Amino acid sequence: MRLMLKRIVILLLMMFLLIPVMAQDDETETAPNEITTYQRVIVREGPGNTFRQVDLLNPGIPATIVERNRIGNWVRIQRYHEGETVLDGWIIGAYINFPDELSYSDVPENTDVERRVFTVPSETETTLYRVATIPTLSDAMVEVFERGQELGNDPAAVTKIGDSLSASESYIQMFSKEIYNLGPYDFLEPTLLYYRDSTADGSVAAQVGMNSLSLFDPFWAARFSQCEGDENPLQCEFRITQPSVAFILYGPNDVRSMNTTTYREQITAIVDASIDAGVIPVLMTFSTHPEEEFYWQGMNFNVILTEIADEREVPLINLWKETRYMPQYGLGEDLIHLTHPGFQTLKYDTGHEAFYGISLQNLLVLRTLHEIYTTLQLGEVVG
Amino acid sequence: MRTLSLALLTILSVIVLAACGDVAGDPSETVINYLEAKIAADEEAVGQLLCADMEADLQREASSFTGVSEARLENASCTYNEDSNTVTCEGSIVANYGQEDTEFPLTSYNVVQEDGEWKWCGVSS
Repeated sequence: MRLMLKRIVILLLMMFLLIPVMAQDDETETAPNEITTYQRVIVREGPGNTFRQVDLLNPGIPATIVERNRIGNWVRIQRYHEGETVLDGWIIGAYINFPDELSYSDVPENTDVERRVFTVPSETETTLYRVATIPTLSDAMVEVFERGQELGNDPAAVTKIGDSLSASESYIQMFSKEIYNLGPYDFLEPTLLYYRDSTADGSVAAQVGMNSLSLFDPFWAARFSQCEGDENPLQCEFRITQPSVAFILYGPNDVRSMNTTTYREQITAIVDASIDAGVIPVLMTFSTHPEEEFYWQGMNFNVILTEIADEREVPLINLWKETRYMPQYGLGEDLIHLTHPGFQTLKYDTGHEAFYGISLQNLLVLRTLHEIYTTLQLGEVVG
Repeated sequence: MRTLSLALLTILSVIVLAACGDVAGDPSETVINYLEAKIAADEEAVGQLLCADMEADLQREASSFTGVSEARLENASCTYNEDSNTVTCEGSIVANYGQEDTEFPLTSYNVVQEDGEWKWCGVSS
């Protein structure tokens, strides 16, 4: 009897000792994305530097990623102590010591958080902050895509339209490289592989020194042997590439020589010409620097872009918003062109997207293509 | 007397017609002047040399090179083709942006006579 009692006590004692271990295992299973950062980072209420600071996370202190924003460049982290959540907020992903096994495919995407309304002192800036960074695809654009297919457009072909920011070989054309490192952004890989063959060449419609008026001027097509007679660059590019998606970025040049009325007319004309050709036009706001001479005109132009996107139900990438937390707003010394990390391949395993404008721009384009790819279920068509 | 009057009238008509021809000028020269005005973004000069059919395109024609730092004509020479009412040019527009020069080859352009003057009327198809 005493022996039996002793065994029961030992068993109970062992069970008692095992409880914390079992609880810890449970916790590990539900939170596999444990990370640390390599420097102290600000923890905010939401994914962006306009959100209120709620805490700090010191380097080396473990936290668990529980969500990410739609891009993946901000993650929501939590820390627990004795079953209680002691830290809960968003940090920029660039400062994470990326473990090899970290995969944003496994991290739930929070699609609501960027819709939170907040204000900053300027009404124009508030307007722009409220526009989502990554668009969704409207039904109207699905129809445009379908009409484009009937016209013979290539579902896997994308093109770019714009000035020197678009003409850069580092922009979109980098998608065509065999070597790439998406780091934790593994969910973008099928999209990258689907579109990349069409991105190798430059675009007749993206040239150094262009403005949105040049796009309709046959003078700017005459130097391309593929272009015919009186074709303008836009007509020529659409004819030879037959794209399904066009990324449009005008502003940094236009802002120096154009008023808002002309800019609105020109961008609207580009959007309408794209829609007529069965091409989904994706507009993009551009980064502006508060110390630059044309800052406020640039801001007005960016607001016009968002208005046209609303009117025509076309997708818009809010590059401006996402560059606000970057060094020098992602701009180089001339305060016009985006900064470059120096790599000639896509590289997202070290947080470049938070420091270099061109890295961020390419990531936003790829994420938007992912939105188009999944909405139109293009993977299923191919696979 | 009547013969003499007829002869004088004929001579006068020839002189007047010849004068009208001078007013129209040289279509090749018009095109060169147009190209110069275009790259200088001289909207007034472009407007004076642009045909009526293209009046709506005046801003585009005068401002499409305002995004470059500097643009110039190089080795431009033009020839009028009477049969097609076009002017074919050789040479190029060289536009500079940053440290980069871009060459835009000249091509054939439509010309029309309006109010006795030659006007530039678009790139020939």
